[in-house]
Amino acid sequence: MRFLKRWKTQILLFFAVVGPGFITANVDNDAGGILTYSQAGAQFGYTLLWTMIPITVALIVVQEMCARMGAVTGKGLSDLIREEFGLRITFLMMIGILITNFGNVITEFIGIAGSMGLFGVPKYIAVPICAVIVWLIAVKGQYKSVEKVFLAASFFYITYIFAGVLAKPAWIEAMKATVRPPQLGLFQGPYLYMVIGVVGTTIAPWMQFYLQASVVEKGVSRRQYKASQLDVIVGCIFTDVVAWFIIVACAATLYMHGVHDIRDAADAAQSLRPLAGDWAYILFALGLFNASLFAASILPLSTAYTVCEGLGFESGIERKFSEAPIFYWLYTVLIAAGAAVVMIPGLPLIKIAVLSQVVNGAVLPFVLIFMLLLTNKKELMGEFKNKLTFNIIAWATTVIMIGLTVVYVYGQVFPSKG
Amino acid sequence: MSTLALTDLLGTTVYDSTGAAQGRVREVALSPQEDRAKIAMLIVKTSSGNRMLPFSAVSAVNGGVRASTAVGEWVLADGAEGLLLLSRDLLDQQVIDVHGRKVVRVNDVDFHQDATVGKPLLRVGGVDVGARGAIRRLLKGVVPPSALRALLRRVPPREIPWDFVDIIETDPARRVKLKISNERLAKLHPADIADIIEDLAPDEREAVFETLDEGVAAEAMEELEPKVQKSVVESLDYDRAADIVEEMEPDAAADLLADLTEERTAEILVQMQPAERQEVSDLLEFRENSAAGRMTTEYIALLVGANTNEAIEAMRSFDGRMESMSTVFLVDSHGTLAGAVPLAKIALAPLGTPLLSLIQEPLISCKEDAKEKEFAELFDKYNLLTLPVVDAKSRLMGVITPDDVINMLRAKL
Repeated sequence: MRFLKRWKTQILLFFAVVGPGFITANVDNDAGGILTYSQAGAQFGYTLLWTMIPITVALIVVQEMCARMGAVTGKGLSDLIREEFGLRITFLMMIGILITNFGNVITEFIGIAGSMGLFGVPKYIAVPICAVIVWLIAVKGQYKSVEKVFLAASFFYITYIFAGVLAKPAWIEAMKATVRPPQLGLFQGPYLYMVIGVVGTTIAPWMQFYLQASVVEKGVSRRQYKASQLDVIVGCIFTDVVAWFIIVACAATLYMHGVHDIRDAADAAQSLRPLAGDWAYILFALGLFNASLFAASILPLSTAYTVCEGLGFESGIERKFSEAPIFYWLYTVLIAAGAAVVMIPGLPLIKIAVLSQVVNGAVLPFVLIFMLLLTNKKELMGEFKNKLTFNIIAWATTVIMIGLTVVYVYGQVFPSKG
Repeated sequence: MSTLALTDLLGTTVYDSTGAAQGRVREVALSPQEDRAKIAMLIVKTSSGNRMLPFSAVSAVNGGVRASTAVGEWVLADGAEGLLLLSRDLLDQQVIDVHGRKVVRVNDVDFHQDATVGKPLLRVGGVDVGARGAIRRLLKGVVPPSALRALLRRVPPREIPWDFVDIIETDPARRVKLKISNERLAKLHPADIADIIEDLAPDEREAVFETLDEGVAAEAMEELEPKVQKSVVESLDYDRAADIVEEMEPDAAADLLADLTEERTAEILVQMQPAERQEVSDLLEFRENSAAGRMTTEYIALLVGANTNEAIEAMRSFDGRMESMSTVFLVDSHGTLAGAVPLAKIALAPLGTPLLSLIQEPLISCKEDAKEKEFAELFDKYNLLTLPVVDAKSRLMGVITPDDVINMLRAKL
């Protein structure tokens, strides 16, 4: 009799371990992701496709480090930063994360405003209602049951793959653009800005905190960790395949038709026209809405956890408001203020969305430095310490991202005449 | 008596007996073997390496640390055997607040300074887990000291007295050297211990479980979430796991073992005492969501002819849990269930009353394969304190207690 239960446990165990990486990957293609990839394809055609392979490699390495840290130490990333680097550094890091994530929360609401706008619902109605829904989902402890709906709905991304195929892109050119190293001359101004944005949206800092926290929460142990590794790799590849097709779909439609600047969600929806014709709006709107709401219900919560754990405040939705006031206030203010910003009339929302992803890219190296220092500590990681290849790839990512940001900022401050 | 914070002491200039500045305070250490609270040693960063300055040789701490010995007498620090380093081991780490029954993170350590003996004597007063310690550390060296002091006076302290602090140390050897025993934690209610353990990382949970004695560990284990239970048992070695499982209620132990892999279950069973092993492995045969899977096999059963004197005697020698004692069962010579007598009736009846005259009518029992829903309904309908479980021949096999039912129902909420 007991063996039946055992067998069930094994299956559940499999799903339990397969969870975090794949969920994180799906949340990765949030409003910021969809809008940034769309803008990248619309503005630069195929010329940003080369970023996809290095980004995938870096994403796998970075997320694997998080998952490993979570499984080996059983602690969250902000806990570890606090314990190993002290209060002052943690405080600065948390301020940075708070600002960056606030930008991301705004972007999720921009996605909600845009997708609902396609259905003719004004943002002044859609955004406040969704903000309340998001707030309630977590406070009422319903997140786990809603998560499955979001996950199922995120298979919408596959439509981008079909859209990409039906758009009859120049396959040869797209493939070549994917493997051909870029010309150095391209690295300036808007192109550079978009490279940072694409990296920032794919390897978003907050996702590292979220992934590690999920691994810890699932209770993945050192022994189960191999399965988690696979989960992370599959998730990362899925994310980037979708990203690749979004760029290709937008390049083959928007870019080809001269739409180089996405001003609202309706422009971005045009990229699905080859697949769905007039239905493109609905398809795109549903997908964007799901992705935005999914990420919006995770991001503020994850941020509140990250900050409170790092700074030693009581946290957790199982606690009462009076027991964890800072946690709940942080969570509530992030949602309310994020929604409020989007409701300011006349803001260039898509530009703000892309900007928030560029900020992600600029903050990423700092998170990476801490992750690298932590995963190289023998007393913390023991035999699970970073291997040389991982260090090389992660340090290279760090240095390149700092380099790109410095070059971009320098270019903005001292514009060259050429 | 005045107070001083660890943050104030760290980085202070240290002068030796000649009055020359020799370095700065790098660490402040206790020697728990001698005294749990008294500062025993300062580690001073000098130009010739880190040196140990015994606190007995310190003549003043305010306005710089002044030592009564020359720098040459301070031995070079190699390792910190037997010392609890307050900055490394406490600052920013998690400790258990035994009074508040939760896990907290240390922002600063407060010392009480006893100046009555002429020479400074510093004792750890408590750990600061609130905003005051955090602000002091964030702003030290950033704003002028006088402004910082003025600001800190306005912030209410949130301090946990040192006597209520339990440290978590994952290295067993260091635990022994530093006399870290979690004895204060062990005095809490098992349910509170379990809550605290759930807030810890796996290695720390293991460390706590290794320091608790088997009885306390077993009770706390029963209160843990099944997921955490499983990961803790998997982290312990078989011997220790078997010691704890032995002390658990047989039904809880069986539920726990059923979630483990077959090898691990077998290894743990092998290490257990034969009697407990038999009980648990019998229970393991049953499906968990049936009555037999939920019941405990620790109960009091007497022959039908017994009287209250014998019942009281049986209760005195019973070593199971209180809740399984709330009913005394009557069986015939074949073990067939014949009656159930509530504890209250035994207490109210004169000594020597035959138990048969006290039995509760009707006799409610359930079959070993009864479904969860069935026996939960019986508890509800008849307001039961215990429910006997019988086999196909009506022989008494075990007892379901309300805590089993509440656990089961809560898991479904």
